[in-house]
Amino acid sequence: MSNTSRPLCAALTKSGASCRNYALKGEIYCHVHLPKAKAKAEETQEPLSEDESRRLRAELANELNELVERLRRLQPEYEPPDFPSLGIGGALKRRLPGLPSGVKNTLVELFGENYKEEIFNIETWKGLWYMINYSAQYQADFFKRRLTGEYETDEWGLDWEFVEVILPFFEFLYSKYFRVTATGLENVPEMGRALLVSNHSGQLPWDGAMIATAIYTEHPSQRLLRSLYATWFPTLPFFSTILERGGQVMATVDNGTRLLEQDELVAVFPEGYKGVGKLFKDRYKLARFGRGGFVRMALKTQSPIIPISVVGAEETYIAIRKSQTLARLTGFPYFPISLRFPWFGLLGFIPLPTKWYIDFGAPIPTDTYAPDASKNLVLVSQLSDQVRNVVQEMIYQRLAQRQSVFRG
Amino acid sequence: MSVKKILVTGIGGYWGNRVAEKLAENPEYQVLGMDTIAPKQPVPGMDFIQADIRNPLLVKLLKSEKIDTVYHLAFKESARPNEAAFDYNVMGTMKVFGACAEAGVKSIIFKSSTAVYGAAPQNSAFLTENHALNGSRSYGSIRYLIEIEAFCNGFRRQSPNVNLTILRFANIVGPTVDSPLMRYLKQSVSPVLMGFNPMMQVIHEDDAVAALAHASSGHYPGIFNVAAEDTLPLGKLLGLAEQRRIPLFHPFAYMGYGLFGSQGIRILQHLPIELDYIRYRWVGDLKKMRDILQFTPTYTADETLRQFAEQRRSKSPAPETETRAAYDTDHLRETIERRHMNENQADDETDRRVPTNE
Repeated sequence: MSNTSRPLCAALTKSGASCRNYALKGEIYCHVHLPKAKAKAEETQEPLSEDESRRLRAELANELNELVERLRRLQPEYEPPDFPSLGIGGALKRRLPGLPSGVKNTLVELFGENYKEEIFNIETWKGLWYMINYSAQYQADFFKRRLTGEYETDEWGLDWEFVEVILPFFEFLYSKYFRVTATGLENVPEMGRALLVSNHSGQLPWDGAMIATAIYTEHPSQRLLRSLYATWFPTLPFFSTILERGGQVMATVDNGTRLLEQDELVAVFPEGYKGVGKLFKDRYKLARFGRGGFVRMALKTQSPIIPISVVGAEETYIAIRKSQTLARLTGFPYFPISLRFPWFGLLGFIPLPTKWYIDFGAPIPTDTYAPDASKNLVLVSQLSDQVRNVVQEMIYQRLAQRQSVFRG
Repeated sequence: MSVKKILVTGIGGYWGNRVAEKLAENPEYQVLGMDTIAPKQPVPGMDFIQADIRNPLLVKLLKSEKIDTVYHLAFKESARPNEAAFDYNVMGTMKVFGACAEAGVKSIIFKSSTAVYGAAPQNSAFLTENHALNGSRSYGSIRYLIEIEAFCNGFRRQSPNVNLTILRFANIVGPTVDSPLMRYLKQSVSPVLMGFNPMMQVIHEDDAVAALAHASSGHYPGIFNVAAEDTLPLGKLLGLAEQRRIPLFHPFAYMGYGLFGSQGIRILQHLPIELDYIRYRWVGDLKKMRDILQFTPTYTADETLRQFAEQRRSKSPAPETETRAAYDTDHLRETIERRHMNENQADDETDRRVPTNE
């Protein structure tokens, strides 16, 4: 709670949203934007020519006009309904003395010292009434637009409105449930392509969701991470749709290459099922890194590889055995027998609230190789092993520092 | 002055008719139409030859008319595989292509569908033209398209002198066309699979016709996916088309489909092709269309579907198509006169022509 008094960074991110990092002491920018602001200030020492500044102003005016137009289109004029003058306000006024003290206290907290003045003021209730009405109408409108098809998706199926809807759930998991500590976020570029390579663990792919949440909420550019998911997910109802609307993409080399060519941030989990379905006794031992498809993607598009280690996810489910028979019967790619699954049914799906660490390592550049280096099988397997070693090393370092599974 | 002579097969069908109409607008083309039935709408300036595509005299016709380009648009749509459709579609195409190679036709243009790639969970988000053809084997039209395309691969090797252009169209939508997706959209309620909402690709019928006509304007050997630039989820597609939907639990839907086939359950009767095609993604990559074919569709998917919904809302009946009576005597006489002006045809050919017979 003490954090709330700290001022936030005043800069805008690449996507145009305000930066969510806290400002450094005595400065108005955060650790990411401060060096940039300084560099910019140095750059813009010499005054702009008259023409240049006029052009820039005209450009700004244009952009603002466009923004206003877009807002108008999204939100046609809202007409608040008539307020029943003697409705809630009148009723509460009569009831106030009889209210329980707890409710009174809440009201005092809400309206401050002179709550009586506020609460009897018809304008307060009008405002509340409008707010409730507005949000109800917005929700109804949202569902109506879903049904009539009035929403936008990109060519991969990403729907930003949908991302905003599911984000609170992942933010809760991120900050309250797994209490994720993310370090090295400055290694993730603010713009341009990059391939993030992480270890995979925890039976269910919560780790992918948490890496994406880390970058979306804590990285100053608030980029949406495109994770490549396994072939099994498109066959599942609801999951397939949720993943696609959330901007995630099925894992094929073609898809990854195309995303990187579009300068997106792409995450891969080269361990695949072997990694995510690891038994508890094998925790934090990296499995084979696929067939090196991710290296070929990076070499083809000359994107830097950013190694990531996720620590804490291995203990969310404690898998003791894997059942081949049940996997074949259910059609799952693997069927873990854990302490709680399948004995407790759906309860077994709830992860244990372990403390997580997500570390973003220094980028491994690939633009020093020739563009056709992706055909060099020796180089591909070498790079694949190199990345694997880096990730494994990062995991061991973090494990050495960790005191407790649940408290970190 | 060189006039390009074009033969359009399947002129009695929708595509032959529309494409011939479009081609006839160009004064540099001389268009010949061929089918067993007359076109529903008369095409001004086109000569109609009433003959089956499997007729062995086709080589002679192609040679004597000095045909430059053949549009092979004769194709019988069929939901269930059957022998008659196979003979007409697959064997017919083989015979037409064979005749073209022998008669020295310079290029052949064939209309196919992106459904030949098949809808599968392991599909890449954007399927390129060299993706394997894993389409449904149980739906007649797709099965035949795949067989024809397999034959085309061999044909390209055997007859390198013939430019074979194949345009693979996405779901075709429009006011007059009859495509699997249109049948799906025109029911009172469309079945969808609960929890599945794959991205779809559509193209407006006018753009499909324009793309086919465009293919003969240059040298474009190869295969091209053709669709509107934007993709959209099936749910949005149905929403924009103002179509009601009924969600089905997919294991039951598959079970019903397997037990009774597409004819058994009323609700499954008009699925676009097969359940997989409304479950998984089958979107074509349009890079080749943009860069090599250099074709740009005029309608976006959004516009296409809004237009469809508007037409349906206004409840205006589709423009009444004129029947073969429209092929009136005036038109026949005009055809005869025109053909007699550059008279140097062999006699055995002229008796294959409708005008001289009557």
